[in-house]
Amino acid sequence: MKVIVDLKLCEGNMRCQESAPEVFEVGDDDKARVLIQNPSGANQERVKLAARLCPRQAITVEN
Amino acid sequence: MQTQEHQFSPSNINIIGPDHYAKNGYPHAEWAYLRRHKPVFWCEWPHTDPFWAITKHADIVQISKQPKLFINSKRLLVFVPDQRSDEEPVPPFRHLLNMDPPEHGDYRTIVSRRFTPRAVRELQPEIERVTREVLDKLVGRTECDFVIDISSKIPLAVIAELLGVPHQDWDRLFRWTNQVIGGGDPEFQEGGSQDETFDQARMELFNYFTEMVNKRIKNPTNDITSIVANSTVNGGPMPQFEMLSYYLLLVVAGNETTRNATTGGLQALIENPEQFRRLQKDPSLIKTAVEEIVRWTSPVIQFTRTATEDTEIRGQKIRAGESLCLFYPSANRDEEVFEDSFKFDVGRTPNPHVAFGIGEHFCLGANLARLELEVIYRQLMERLEYAELNGPIERLRSSFVGGIKHMPIKFKLKPAVQ
Repeated sequence: MKVIVDLKLCEGNMRCQESAPEVFEVGDDDKARVLIQNPSGANQERVKLAARLCPRQAITVEN
Repeated sequence: MQTQEHQFSPSNINIIGPDHYAKNGYPHAEWAYLRRHKPVFWCEWPHTDPFWAITKHADIVQISKQPKLFINSKRLLVFVPDQRSDEEPVPPFRHLLNMDPPEHGDYRTIVSRRFTPRAVRELQPEIERVTREVLDKLVGRTECDFVIDISSKIPLAVIAELLGVPHQDWDRLFRWTNQVIGGGDPEFQEGGSQDETFDQARMELFNYFTEMVNKRIKNPTNDITSIVANSTVNGGPMPQFEMLSYYLLLVVAGNETTRNATTGGLQALIENPEQFRRLQKDPSLIKTAVEEIVRWTSPVIQFTRTATEDTEIRGQKIRAGESLCLFYPSANRDEEVFEDSFKFDVGRTPNPHVAFGIGEHFCLGANLARLELEVIYRQLMERLEYAELNGPIERLRSSFVGGIKHMPIKFKLKPAVQ
């Protein structure tokens, strides 16, 4: 699994960090950073949830 | 929910007539029928061009996620005028709502950092102070109009302060908002028609902000008026029409929707007393309660998209150029997404409602609206000893915004806890 955040869309709404705190971190610049590019195990489900909840649909998950 | 489906058929179903909304509120029975039988429904209605009515949650998400295939600029919403006009109406504004990518993103980033969860948290003490003041004025009274005395006051104060509008002009912002959104309602009409009312308010607002812009260009400040006034787009200053339209959007959107969510939230709590007691007993439910209030009230009824290419939704062919009207309150009652979707449940989890939209055009002010509702309801739950309806609710005559103009209540408020 590969996780990509479109930084042009991201507005720091925090849903990703709340859903998958090990994978996403929203910085002081209000942009999400991907901490684990290729998450495994339980993080995969959390990342899918984050992608679904992202208000601006800025997260893409590639298998 | 019990729906009397036999009364509906695709030829007589009314989901867009403004009088229907004023008289009966949201057509939830009609939407439930459509979700079940005709989720992508070709709707022909007098005085407006036909459109596809989209009523399912998944379809609204799918359409909203493709802002290049489904654009906003051609037809922002299904507007039903009182008389058929032969001319194609040209909207007298250009702002985020009727812009498309990539332009939409260029304009949106100018203010978006002021509306992140981090940025709005700094406003919390001010929102708490405003709310406390509004409620303090009502201690000792037993009756009020919840809209005029409470729910309209707080969002107005918040957006006015964000824009740097001085206190003596707040009632003007209030009137312009009502006239822009409620121009189709006799109570707010000035001049002869909806268009005249809208245009008069728009021009007054444009003139007002033209003056403010001139001041902010000479002496920049930290308010949003100044940020927009001194912004650049594509390497140049923002054109004047787009700039004034930006203020129109911020004033109206910052006022009307939160007001209606606040009002509809109390109505829901009064009509579901067990949920009222539950929230009062357990303030830790405030965040889920706010989400449920937003889902339940869904103050924006619809926005519309236009397909740029031939495509398909749920197997239905959609031709390039056809409109798709997204009915958010319907998606937020979708039985396939929400368990017991017609139950108002202040603890509802998960709650993936789309009342703020989703994707490219996700509500810019969502985090601010959530914070305002959280502050208002936390204080109301602490201080409201009881509340009941004290007469009929008066709804706005609009099939765009689910407005409540007046909600008389009987109530008792405790003084603030010092």
